[in-house]
Amino acid sequence: MPSVLVESVSKSYRDVVALKDFSLNLQEPGCIGILGPNGAGKTTLLKVLTNIVKPSDGVALINGINVSDEPERALMNVGALVEQPEFYPYLTARETLKFVSRVKGVPENRLESEISRVSELTSISGYLDRKTGNFSRGMKQRLSLACALVSDPSIIILDEPTFGLDPTGMKEMRDLINRLNQDRNRIILMSTHLIHEAQEICDRVIIINHGQIVHDTINDPADRIIEIELDSKLSTFDFPDHLVQDAFMDGNSIMVRMRSGATNADIINYLVSSGARIRWVRPRDYLENLYVSLVSDSS
Amino acid sequence: MPSTFRTFSVASSYYFRNYYRSRSFYLMLVISLLVSALLTYFSLKYVNKLDLIVPPKLLAALGNTGKAEIFGYFWAFVLLDLPVFASVFFGSTAISSEIENKTAFHIFPLPIGRVTLLTAKYVAAVAVTLITVAIYLIFQAAVFEYLFPGPLILGYYQSIGLLVIFVFSITAFTFLISSIFNRNTYAYITVFLIYLLVFNAYEIIVEFLYKVTPYYLLNVAADAMEKVYLNISTNPFSTASSTFAPATVGTIYTSIGVMVVYAIVSFTAALIIFDRKEVK
Repeated sequence: MPSVLVESVSKSYRDVVALKDFSLNLQEPGCIGILGPNGAGKTTLLKVLTNIVKPSDGVALINGINVSDEPERALMNVGALVEQPEFYPYLTARETLKFVSRVKGVPENRLESEISRVSELTSISGYLDRKTGNFSRGMKQRLSLACALVSDPSIIILDEPTFGLDPTGMKEMRDLINRLNQDRNRIILMSTHLIHEAQEICDRVIIINHGQIVHDTINDPADRIIEIELDSKLSTFDFPDHLVQDAFMDGNSIMVRMRSGATNADIINYLVSSGARIRWVRPRDYLENLYVSLVSDSS
Repeated sequence: MPSTFRTFSVASSYYFRNYYRSRSFYLMLVISLLVSALLTYFSLKYVNKLDLIVPPKLLAALGNTGKAEIFGYFWAFVLLDLPVFASVFFGSTAISSEIENKTAFHIFPLPIGRVTLLTAKYVAAVAVTLITVAIYLIFQAAVFEYLFPGPLILGYYQSIGLLVIFVFSITAFTFLISSIFNRNTYAYITVFLIYLLVFNAYEIIVEFLYKVTPYYLLNVAADAMEKVYLNISTNPFSTASSTFAPATVGTIYTSIGVMVVYAIVSFTAALIIFDRKEVK
């Protein structure tokens, strides 16, 4: 089983703290989305995991191997797309993929089939013999993903994978990540700015801000969320566990994620019986509200 | 998991290919061809008119191979600068470009050690530099064979040996400068400033004020490439004894020692810095 373990990692760039005592334990396959505003520490986390930067403190383990101490072993089963990488401009996409394949230990007799496989997955088959110096931003993004998919790694790290792509390209990229996730045999750790992208692709969403996890939640498309506006703010609220999965309060309104079987009426009745006066109730986008609430609270 | 040697050979061939297809490589080829053509013209024109450019005392002092030694000195005088230009093109941006051009995001997450990666790039840079200067050496050999039939003089082979060591050391030195910066322009300028200005100025000042030749400077050590023909210094303030005989074995060994130390120290320092390099 693939695993990613980040233990008490801190990373500072001079005076700027990018990650602060950050811990994360991923033991189950699936797609994990990292959401957060600019400068929250998303990219730094992925850079620590891919040996692009070294943590100031703490350890990052991939499949139980310390990335800083043994990057060659730790990254053997990792495919990564971090920031917007550039390639050596005088080499073709095929040569670039051949290099990555050889470094990742793909046998010589399987090189061409592996290059065909990843280039078809990322729709760059027609561009393999062009020099990468002539590639557009979108094409470089696809080639980068193709490099990440070489040798079918058990852990894929993607930093804003749809950045720089046109709408069609963005949809293709999301479809591809969804397909990769369907196998349920790998961890896909993906950072994004786009909440709807995380909702569409990810099984679990982690919101980070100021270098720390501020929320970690299972993303269930079947979730039913309602926002309830009250006349006045409640001092405390404690919903019965069989009705509500989780809830958070923002001023006079409460965002409630209901359990299956629970109805809007159950929630309303409970609040009324607790003495609350309800002004209105409406279905809401839970993750978006949660994100805005958490990010604006901490800032 | 592929062996370190396997990843090294894969990476060096990858870098070598990127180097020899670059504009810098073709520019160096043109420079090398141009300089070779000029020296060929010079040699053919002045082979029988050496008394116009060389003091008669010097001509008289040289034996039968004297003419070849003089032309060897001229060819080596120009040869000295070719590896400097080549390593500026290939070496001074070797590490800074990985950061500035963002190729680090492509290679750092790969399962290949940074030491292996930089050593592979170093070997590739040395190889392309040697290719560009080889053209010049082939021209020199052809011209010498035409003008002075028979076996090539010993100085020619000694000069090539010293050149190879010099290419390793100047490339390592430029890699070190490159490892300090994250911007290509700074790396280019610093290499030029240090090698062509600081070293020369330091040499002149030390010789002028203290009457000592700073043999430990890389450019002074590299002069052995021309001194294997005639032991003459072109520095007007030089205190080194000039003779029309080739440099002594001691001088050659000292130069080799200095160049080897530069190569080892510079490359080791570059490796340490590159291993700790982060892309913010």
